[in-house]
This record gives sequence, structure tokens and C-alpha cells, in this order.
Amino acid sequence: MESIAFGIGITALAGALATVAGAAENTESDIGSQGDPNSQVQLAPQMGYLHRIFNKAIAGEPPAYGLWVCLGAGIAWAFMAMQINPILALVLGSALAVFIQGVYATTAYLGRTASLAKFGQPVFVDVLKSMTTVTMAHAFVAIFTTVTMCHLINAALGHPFPLPLLGLVWGIALGAAGSATGNPFYGKERQYQSQKFGAGVPIAASGNIVRYAEAGERNSLDNGWFSAKLGGPASGLCFGLIVFLEIWRTVLFEHVGAGWGAIIVGIIIILIFAVIDRYIEVWARKNYGPYGKPAEEGS
Amino acid sequence: MSAVGAKPQAGGAMDMPATIAGIILLLVIIGATYFMVGPGLMFMALIGIIIGGLAIAFGVHFVPVGGAPAAMGQAPGIATGVAMLAAGAGLAGLFGGAWAAEQGIVVAVVTGAVGGGLMMAITCMFVTFIYVFGMGIPCASGKVAKDPISGDTQAEFKSQGTEGHGLPFVSYVGGVIGGLLGGGGGTLIYIMLLDVYKEALPGMMQALPAQVLPIAVSLAGIFAIGMFLVNAVLTAYNITGTIEGPHDPKFKRFPRALVASAVASALCGMVAILIVAM
Repeated sequence: MESIAFGIGITALAGALATVAGAAENTESDIGSQGDPNSQVQLAPQMGYLHRIFNKAIAGEPPAYGLWVCLGAGIAWAFMAMQINPILALVLGSALAVFIQGVYATTAYLGRTASLAKFGQPVFVDVLKSMTTVTMAHAFVAIFTTVTMCHLINAALGHPFPLPLLGLVWGIALGAAGSATGNPFYGKERQYQSQKFGAGVPIAASGNIVRYAEAGERNSLDNGWFSAKLGGPASGLCFGLIVFLEIWRTVLFEHVGAGWGAIIVGIIIILIFAVIDRYIEVWARKNYGPYGKPAEEGS
Repeated sequence: MSAVGAKPQAGGAMDMPATIAGIILLLVIIGATYFMVGPGLMFMALIGIIIGGLAIAFGVHFVPVGGAPAAMGQAPGIATGVAMLAAGAGLAGLFGGAWAAEQGIVVAVVTGAVGGGLMMAITCMFVTFIYVFGMGIPCASGKVAKDPISGDTQAEFKSQGTEGHGLPFVSYVGGVIGGLLGGGGGTLIYIMLLDVYKEALPGMMQALPAQVLPIAVSLAGIFAIGMFLVNAVLTAYNITGTIEGPHDPKFKRFPRALVASAVASALCGMVAILIVAM
């Protein structure tokens, strides 16, 4: 009984860490325009719309976070093998991984933006100086929480994978969940804020991203502020639920029916989410209604 | 952009010379492995790895991926890359499957499958949540007039100038099936390799089984992740960009990916087995 209570406590803590990680990951990637919406940031100067948006997308979020979290976990694991206090090892490992992220962000921004020189897009050194540190700070939160979560899963719950391998697995899953959930909110709602609400961006409008803020030109910190309102928390909840429910069903039901208990609970959870999804889909069809004729659409 | 502009090619046609060459290559690799390790645990592991690879390649075709256009609500699907999303789901499944490895191969593979399905079920639900409540956009497919599962009509919910948006219910179900197959396939590869390494490493390193277990787990885990990515990326090339799910005409291309995946999995599996067999 005591071990189950301990397991549930660790599960809850891991879920909470994952929630923070998901929120920080999505906000970081939106400030850096690393997700799929980067295509528009890259396209805009080619269509004649010069901007001051940070752009560090030379890899998708899943492999990038797989690398950074695996690095953080690997370094922390090495420090722990050297008998350094685990908490200090986790902080040091994550901090060193963030320096790699900083190098990545700097070279990616310079490289991607320099490739647009023929379209007249300048490299803004002040953008580089002010945005890189902000993405690094968010990346530290995401990497540290994920590495700590992996350490809990490994050390307290006894998962067979070593810490670096767990870091790679959950880093890739973190990037996948964060980019899937948060990208549309940043891509459609923020970059195309001038388009009508409640409709997709017409393909003809591609590249015409919003470039001006309330005062002066819009920068990526404004985008981070905006996506932290819904895209970030939703990504956090998504990743937190994935981690929590995956561990919860294993810890509680692993020994029920020789392993089949956890499987049946997993299937029930999948069905519950399918019902919620269908409910939201039908709700939208009823409340938003069809678009009607093309002349009236977008309202 | 280019993914939206591209006309979906139903082309499920197999290139016969390439298919035959692929099958011959597959038989050569299987035969060579049989010749080197003989019938037994290692040969059966290779067969298991090929089956796992096929499950991954087939599963990736189910995952609804819209890429960059989906991030602007210009095309249906999840706004990320095919290989990346499938890898995220499959590896989450592998995490669960590895945890259940000691409970037998069937329980472990099914646990891995459910883990992958669970990851996709939650992610797809949040995609719909963001589209509906964050962006005020209902789900609409651009490839079919009616959702094959729910029967909902799609065309009138598609906003002008787009290919559709969000995840219609058939895409949601496709995503979950993709996660199930990916998680199960990845776990099968892991279990097969783990058995081989647990058997061969103690003799090779002249150590007790308990001492080599962490090395066996790490090796099997990293090879399973690597083979997962090989199969997911191969399939992404077959899909070329975006796919809505099992109702998309591009889905019919899957036989080509299965042949390629069988060859790639056999080759990777042979290397993974021979590092301890030779």
C-alpha cells in the first residue's frame, strides 16, 4: 500500500513537471518560430514583407528537443556517476544542454536570415541579442523539468531505460506533443491575426504575416506573450496528461491480471478521449455552422 | 505551400522491377543471417524485427499529418512532420512496452501499442480543442465528401481558399491506430533485441547476466529507437508531405513502403544481431 502511495505521488510529480515542460517548450518554440509556422516567417521576405521575427527552425521540435533533453540527461547521468548530488547534477546537466541550444539558436537565426539577403531581409543583431537569451531561459525550464521527470521515472519508479535513453524518448515525445498542439495557435492566430477569426488562412494570403505591433514593429517576445495564453498551457496539459496517464495506468494496474489490467485501463482512457474529441467536433459543427457561400464565408 | 498546391496522387501502383529487387534483397539478407547464425533465437529475432518494422511503416500511414499548411488552418491534419509525430507516439509506446518487458512478449507488445495509441488519442484531442476553442474553426476534410466513420458531410465546413482544416473523426481514429501500430512495432523490435543481447552478452563479456542487463537494455533501446526512425522516415518519403489518414488517396501507397521497410528493417536487424553474434 505504501509503495502504491509512493508511486502515485511520483506519478503526480512527474505529470506536473511534464505540464510545465510542455508549456515552456511551446512558448520557447513560438518565440524562436521553430515549429511549422516558421515556413511563413521564412516565406514573408520572399513575398516582400520584411520583418523582425526570430527564426531558428533548422530542425523540427521533436528531434531538437530529443537532442537537448538527451544531452541534459546524459550529462546529469555522468555527474551522478561521479557521485555529485543528483539535484545539482540535474541542474548542471540542463544548464550545459541549454548552452548547446543557445549555439543552435544563434547559428540557426544567422544562417536562415542570411539566406534571405537577396530579398533584402537584414540580420538584426539586437534581435539576436534580445531573443536568444529568452529562448534559452524557456528551454532551460523545459529541459530541466523533463530531465527531472526522467530521473524520477528511472530512480523512483524503476523504469529499465537509463537516464539518457529516457531523455531521448521523452524529449522527442515532448517536441511532438508541443508542436502538434501549439503550432496552429501560433501559426494561424498570431502570425495571421489580421485575417478573419474562425476560418483557415486562404492560401493566397501566405507570407503576409502581421509585422507591426501596438507600437513599432512586432517582435518574437510579443509572440511568446500571445502563445503563452493558450497554445503553451494547452501543450503543457497535453504532454502532462500523456506522461501522467501513461505512468498512472502502469503503476496502479500493472499487476492486475498479469499486466492486462494496465492494457484495459489504457484502452478505456483512449475511448474516453475519443468521445471527448467527437463531442468537441460535433459542438463546433452545431455552434459555428457551415461557412455557406464563398462570398459570405469567414464570418 | 507546396504540400497544399501539390495534387494528391492516388498512385498506389507498385514499380515492379524495384519491388522484385527489394524482395530479392530481403531474401538475401534473411538467407545470409540464417547462414551466419543458424536457426534459433537470433534468426527468430530478425523475423520479429522485420514484422515490427512493417507494423511501424504501415502505422505511419494512418497518422494524419498536415505539416506547415495545417499550422495556418490551410490543410487538415496535425501541424507537424510525419516522421516526428509517429516517432513521438511510437517512442511513448516503447517506453510503456519496455516497462512491461518482464511480463512476456504478448503483454509487452500490447502495452506498447496502447501506450502509443494513448499518446495519439490525447494529442489529437488537444489538436481539435485548439482548432475549435482557440481558433473557432470546425474540422473539415479536403479529400472526402463525407467522413467514412461518422458520416458527417465535409465540404460546407471548409473555409474558402483552404484544403480543409482540423481533424475529422476518421483522422482521429487513424491517428490512434497509427499510434497503436507504431508503439506495438517498436516494442516488438526492442523485445527481440533484448532477448538476443541478454543471451549473447554474458558469454561475450564474460560477466554475470545481471551485470550485463543494463548494457543489454541500453543497446536494445537505442537500436529500437534507431529502427523506428528508419521506418518512420522511409514512410514519410512514401507519403511525400501530408496525409489525412486512412481515407486519403495517398494511403493506397502503403504496399511500396512495406517492401522498402522490410528490406531496411532486415538490414538494420542483421547489423544489430551480428554485433553480438560475430
